[in-house]
Parts: sequence; structure tokens; C-alpha cells
Amino acid sequence: MIRRVVFLLVTLFIVANGSADVPRTVEIRKSLVRITATSQEPDYKVPWNPGTMSVGVGAGFVIDGDRIMTNAHVVSNAKFIVVEKEDDPQDYPAIVEFIGHDCDLAVLQVLDKRFFRNTIPLSPGGIPAIESPVSVYGYPIGGDRLSVTRGIISRVDFQTYTHSGIDSHLAVQIDAAINPGNSGGPVMQDGKVVGVAFQGYSGDVAQNVGYMIPTPVIKRFLEDISSGHYDGYVDLSLTYFKLLNSAEREALGLPDNDQGVIISAVSSAGSSYGVLKEGDVLLTIDGLPIASDGFVQLDGERVEMPEIVERKFKDDTVKFDIWRDKAKQTVELKLSGNWPYLMQANRYDSPPRFVLFAGLVFQPLSKNFMDAYQVDDLRLRYFYNYFITDEIFKEHPEVIVLSNILPDPVNAYLSDLRFQIVDKINDKKIRKLQDVADAFAQTSDYYVINFVGSSRPAVLERSAVEQARERIIANYNVQKEQYLGGGLLK
Amino acid sequence: MKLLLVILISLSFTRAGFSSAEPTPKVAIAPVEQKGSVVRVNSTNQSYDFVRPWSKDAPFSRRGLGILLDGGKILVTAELVANSDYIELERADGGEKATAKVDVIDYEANLATLTAEDPNFLAGMQPLGLTTDVKTGDELSVLQLESNGTPVSAKALVTSVEVGKYALEDSGYLMFRMSCPLQFRENSFTLPIVKGNKLAAYLMRYDSRSQTIDAISSPVINHFLAESRHHPYRGFPRAGLDFSSTRDPQLRRYLKLQDSDGGVYVNRVEQDGPAANGGVQEGDVLVAIGDKQVDPDGNYLNPLYGKVSITHLTTTEAYAGQSVTMTVIRNGQRKQLNIELFRKAPEDYAIEPYTIGKQPRYYILGGLVFEELTRDYLREWGANWLKDAPQRLVYYDKYQSELFPEKRKIVFLTQILPTQETVGYEQLNNLVVAKLNGRQILNLNDFAEAAKNPIGGFHKIEFEEDPHEIYLDAKQVEANSAKLQSVYSLPALQHL
Repeated sequence: MIRRVVFLLVTLFIVANGSADVPRTVEIRKSLVRITATSQEPDYKVPWNPGTMSVGVGAGFVIDGDRIMTNAHVVSNAKFIVVEKEDDPQDYPAIVEFIGHDCDLAVLQVLDKRFFRNTIPLSPGGIPAIESPVSVYGYPIGGDRLSVTRGIISRVDFQTYTHSGIDSHLAVQIDAAINPGNSGGPVMQDGKVVGVAFQGYSGDVAQNVGYMIPTPVIKRFLEDISSGHYDGYVDLSLTYFKLLNSAEREALGLPDNDQGVIISAVSSAGSSYGVLKEGDVLLTIDGLPIASDGFVQLDGERVEMPEIVERKFKDDTVKFDIWRDKAKQTVELKLSGNWPYLMQANRYDSPPRFVLFAGLVFQPLSKNFMDAYQVDDLRLRYFYNYFITDEIFKEHPEVIVLSNILPDPVNAYLSDLRFQIVDKINDKKIRKLQDVADAFAQTSDYYVINFVGSSRPAVLERSAVEQARERIIANYNVQKEQYLGGGLLK
Repeated sequence: MKLLLVILISLSFTRAGFSSAEPTPKVAIAPVEQKGSVVRVNSTNQSYDFVRPWSKDAPFSRRGLGILLDGGKILVTAELVANSDYIELERADGGEKATAKVDVIDYEANLATLTAEDPNFLAGMQPLGLTTDVKTGDELSVLQLESNGTPVSAKALVTSVEVGKYALEDSGYLMFRMSCPLQFRENSFTLPIVKGNKLAAYLMRYDSRSQTIDAISSPVINHFLAESRHHPYRGFPRAGLDFSSTRDPQLRRYLKLQDSDGGVYVNRVEQDGPAANGGVQEGDVLVAIGDKQVDPDGNYLNPLYGKVSITHLTTTEAYAGQSVTMTVIRNGQRKQLNIELFRKAPEDYAIEPYTIGKQPRYYILGGLVFEELTRDYLREWGANWLKDAPQRLVYYDKYQSELFPEKRKIVFLTQILPTQETVGYEQLNNLVVAKLNGRQILNLNDFAEAAKNPIGGFHKIEFEEDPHEIYLDAKQVEANSAKLQSVYSLPALQHL
């Protein structure tokens, strides 16, 4: 997988703006950190392999408590990290203390505390105003010396954070160009950090569009980890539909007042389940009226309703006035995450999970899996794309796929079964990878694998499997036959 | 690099030498008997636009050659005259033209018979008989006409006889594959193929790069013509089962099969299909059909063609309404089952695999356009429709017999024609309808019925996915329907 090192582009003209009070470069030198991470990308096609090595350079900055903040994607899958600062010849090894893949932020610790001598920690400010100037610091294109660029705030809205690929949070668009090495660097205004540079578009998609993680997300991350553990974002786990149609409003018995959105689906694995249901109309959230297009007025800004929940933490509550059966009710629910979503998120810092048996590789379906194999199989794509919306996770908490076949006499006639989804092994329903390992650990004359849909079973004789085992391990340099740790299921 | 070059040169030398040594294979004056049997067929075809089912796509022309059969019928491929608005016959000798109409058409077998509206038009032409005596290695003649009407023929060598895909992806029948250098003439590639002075096959595909022909085989033509004499036409039957090979020795031992048994593993039997009705079950091993032994790859030994897929036995050798005996091994026991064969018409599928020659059904309710899902709708996404068309609908189509074993259709919202009533709904499309006004919707007729009974003045439309429900004001829909029709120039608001 290509490392998403995203950066800020170098502006062609530095627009002098007398009113902006930007800290002088001499001070930022005491806060800016250059991070070099050596990482190993897991190999989903050969899951027992340790993975390919790569070296990436990003930026970071010193924060309170002798720590360094950077992007999660700068240090994901890292095996070894060194940090450097301006005016210090020394390289210092660092470790990841907390990492939030859902918000693309991480906090590092430096083992040698002398690193922090003469450094100045930066603290987060607010959301900068549209059109106001900002300065961006980092190491674009991997240079050794700090680089500064300037731009203005173009837009504040929700964006997909490409590091996980599934999470959307508030992001601030700036009109600075983008180059690798700016990732994790601070974006400054009036001596405060107003964002962390993190992603942008390549030049052939859009020009002068870069994104930074704004302070509400940064502050939330810092507060979340203050408990000593990163719990991550919580989610309502529901979808809603704007109530703009007057007939629909009338049919639901709602006044024509541009207020409320209707719930179209509630995930059974999420925090709203059992409290809210399909067809409920959400009128207010924590006392704030929800407009019929799903926006609420927050701190003088119109933001999408989920932004209220964005700022909350695991086990916090949220209160709704709802319209159900043509009457108003007030409900409260406790917030949590939603594990099935993670199946569609990029996964880091965790080796691929698999079971190898008779040269057949079984793997759970995931984003990384789909990226690695680029599967065309229609059923598999359906199971992946509709895992959440069609609640496939209820029957298949893990969708176990016969992902690869290492050719050997024991499996010579099975090649057409590749990419089939496992339904049963020896009549036992397979709901997760552990079930596969358990089924093959049983002693049986035959191992009969049934697949979802209509195909013949794969039949393996124990004697043939035993004969093939050492041969396959030797031929294909198999370093381990299974890895079951680190699943999404608790 | 140098070595490769040498090989290439020597190869091309060999080929050049070979072709010059042979008498030219292409052009030879055909026997006189055939000259009087061939007629040009020009068809102007127009298919419906499945995204805008009230209109047709632009018309286009196809040309081909038909062959006069006993009884005054003209045989062509179904593709040539599919969705035809107008069919014209043109005599090869004089160039006179006349109108024709489709007599019997089978899109699955890709064959059709035409009749001339003026019976005297064919006077003096010589009908051609059919021969099924064709085998691998035979040399046949592909008939073509020069633009001046002079008949020419090209020799074609039958290289294999096997079951292969016809015009539609689901239908496979016996096919003659031939090797033949063929010039594209004005007639296109819908051409009769003869052996001696008998019709032996009908060309349906020609690959000019490999110079290979896929031809409709004479047993298929024979079946079609024989069935054509039956009223109503019942089509080619099918057994309604999927099978896979039992070559894997581990599978054979597990199923307790003897090596001499052969047989194929039955993956699935289609609900209410011939095999299911006759008692075939998933997991059975099918070892014989009639007196023909089935080998582990699903072939039997045909006296003329050698190994041929058993599909040929149940689709072409047998006729709809006939029965075959299937011998299966189930739990080590042999069982003989009587299977009465019949065809499954496209209308009987939840999602029609093809919709040809008829207008797609639709119903427009207040600017919301509803259709019954068809594969032709999905095909509107172009050659890459399997990936580009709405994925849920593609999945429904591909696995329809598994997902929708009951008799039903999939009614869905295709698009919105924006009006005052649809404010807020503009982005909705390709959503499968579960209910309308509280009534479960299994086809578009259900939908039309349910639309007569709004609840409390509103049409409540429930979808299978987000947003699960929307509403329309029934009075407004009624009041504005004439306006909707005129604004969007719709010929009708429904076609059931």
C-alpha cells in the first residue's frame, strides 16, 4: 500500500499581509520536529510474510508534557522512529504513545528526555476565520531543513480522512500547495496551532487544495488520550434523510417549520439501537434544533448534526427530542463506537489474520484484503460493500474467504473455488476466523468445506493434508500457518 | 532477440508457402441449387430505452442472408431481426424487394423463421433441406453474395463441436466451431453454411483475427424447426440444475463413488424447475441421462461428435414436454428419476434475462419512475455494466434464483422526474420498493393496484434501503399528472 504522506504545497508567492501576527521562524524552530519512520507494510497476499519495508519522512511538533504530535499516517506500521529538531545534530529514537487511526493523529514519546531541552511546546487555538492567513511548517519532499509556506483558510467542512478511508470529521481547507513531508506539521496563526497539515489532492485533481486537521479534532484526541487510553470516536450509527418534502412532513404530522430529519436506518451494532428506530424524526440534539437539512447552529456556525456527537467520548450521553407516532418524546442514549464499520477501514499496526490449511489460505474480508486482491467476484464485492447496510455482520461477523490456493497435489482440483465465502466446515457454521482454526484442529477423516451460494464443497482427506503439510511449508516458505490475533470482534 | 526474429521470419515463410500451395480457399462459384435458396434480409431494428422506457433508441439496420426452407419459411438468426420494426427481403437474382414478418423467433437458440407477406415473392426459389450429418474435420461452405447478387462461398473446416454460449449469456447450445478466412461483404456476418446442397449450420459470430466461426449447429436448427411446427412454440427445454466436476479423487472417495461411475456433482437445483420437480437434490451425483453415461466433467459420448456436454441432451436432443431419466447416486444409492423437461420463459424469472420485442413495463407516480428490474436495464450502463451498474441490482440479477426462488418481480424506483411533489427526493434512484401504501409489491401490477389506495391522502412508498420511506400527496399527484406528462412529453404515465 502506498503510504499516504500528504503535505502542503509550496505557494508560489508569499502574500505579505501586515495584519497577520505569525510567530517568527526563529521561534517555530524550537517546536518543529522532523520524523523519520521505518515501517513494514503487511502483505495481505502472503500474510505470513513480515511485509515490505519503507522509510517515510514527516513533521511533528512539541506539545505539553514533553510529547510530540504528528499524523497517525506518519508513524503507522512503524518499526523504528527517529526524531530530529533544528539546531541539534542528534537523532533521537521515539515511540508511539497514542495513535488514533480514525482521526489521523498520534502522540510520540522520546526516550531521551534531553530532546526537549530548549523546546517550546505549542498549544491549540480555535478554528481560524475564512480568508484569514496561516503559516505551514514542515519538511516538504523530505528536505532536511524546515520549510514554511503561507496560505489562507478556504473552507471548513466535513471531509473523509483518507488514512482510515471511512471516517469523516471536520477538516479545514487551505489554499497552499501540497508535497510529501508536510504531514503532521503545525499550521500556525497568531502564535497558536490552528491545525495539523494532513492531506491534499494530487495536482491533476485539484490545484491549491490542502487540508488540515482543525483544533476541535486535535483537542478531542488529546482529551480522549488523557485517560491513558485512546477510545476513539463514537457514533450514532444511524442514517437520516432530510425532511424537505412538504407532503412527507404533512404525512408525518410535522409542522411546516423546516425542523427535523427522519431516521432511515439504525445499525443494530451501534449506540442508537434499541433507543431510536427507523421512522423517528430527530427534532433537537442536546437542546439544539435540527434543521430539516440536518444542520444545527453551533457556536455561531451551521454544522452538520453529527458534529455534536463528534465532540463526545465513549459512554457520554446525547439527548434527542424526537417525533414518534405523531407525538413528541425525549430520549437519551449512551454513545459507543460501531465495530462493523472498521471492516471497511484501512487497518494498521496489526498483522494480517489468516489460517493456512492444505495450501488453502483463509482470510477475513477487510478493506486491506480488497485493496490487495482487487477482487471482481460479485458476491464478494456485495458482502464487502453491504456489510454494514445489509447487516451481513449478523450472520458473518467475519466474512471468511478462501483467498488463495498454494498449488499442491492435495488441492489440485480446487482452484475454481478461489474467492468463495466459507459457510461451513464439517457442518459447523463458520462465523469468524477462529471457527476455521478450530474446525481444522479437530481430528476428522475428511474436512468438508461448504461455501455460501451454490458450489460444490471442497473435500480434503486428513491423510492427504498431513502428507502435504511439510511439503507446502517448505515449497512456499511459509513462516507460520495461522495468525488469529487482533480481530475486530471483542 | 535475434533468434526470435529468425523464428518469426521462418514462420511467416512457412505460412506463405502453405497458402500459395493450396488452391485459393475463399472464392468458388456455388452450385446452382444453392443460388436459388438464398435471400437477402434487411431488418430495421429499434430497441426500447430501458432507462426511459417510454421511448425507443435510434433505429439501426442489420443485413444478413436467409435461407428458404421447405414450406416457404425463411431461416435467419434471431439477432438479425431482434426488435425489428421492418423486415425486407431482397432476391439475390433480380433484386426485387418485399416485406416479411417474423413467424417464430427463439432468442435463446438465436434462430427465427420469416414469412414473406406476398407468397408469390419466393416463386422459383429452391428450398433447402437440413443435414445433421456434420462432424469435426468436415469441410463446409459459407454462403455469401457479391453486391451484384453473384453467389460466392468460402470453405470452412469444422474444428470442434461443443456446447457454447449463443447470443445470450445464459444459453449454451451445441455449436460448430470452424476455421475459415472470410471477407466482410455487405451482408454482414449472418450467413448460412451448407454441406453439399443441404443446410448444415448458421454463422452467428466471426472473429476476423483468429478467422474462426461460431455457428449455430444443425441439431439446434433441427430442434427449432421441429418445435416450430408445435403450437404454441415451447422453446428449448432445460433441466434446471448446476453441476460441477467430480474429478477430484478426494471428493470421489468422500462421495463413495467408484471410478467407473463417472458423474457430476449437483451444486444446485432450481426451485420448481424440471430437475427439482423430478426429485433431483443438491449433492446428488448425476451419473446417467437416459442410456448415456455422464463422465466426471459432465460430458457424454455422442456417436457423431465424441465428447459433448450433457446440456445438449436436456436442451436439444429432448424436447419440451418430453421426459428423460436421470440416474443419480445419493448417499451411495443409485436412484432413477423421471424428469419432465420444460423451458423457463424470461417472463418467469424474477429479473428478466432479456426483454426483446416488447416495451418495458413502467409506472410513473408523481414524477417517480418505477420499473420492473430487467437485465437490459442494467446493460444500459454499457459493456462494463457488471461493475458500473448499481451493485445491489447487479447482485440481485446474478443470484436471482438463489435470492428470489418465489415467483415475483423486483419493482424499483429508477429515477425522478423533478416536480414540485418531488422536492427533497431528487437524489433518489435505483431503490427497490418493498411496499406501497402498506401493500407488499411483488410486481408492477401490485404497484398500480396499491397506487389506487393512498393512506390518509398520502402515497407511502417503502424501500428496501435508505431512505426506507417517502411520501407523496395523493391529491397533488392526481392534479398534476397531466402537467407532468406534458412537461416531460411522456406518451403515457404507465405501461403495464
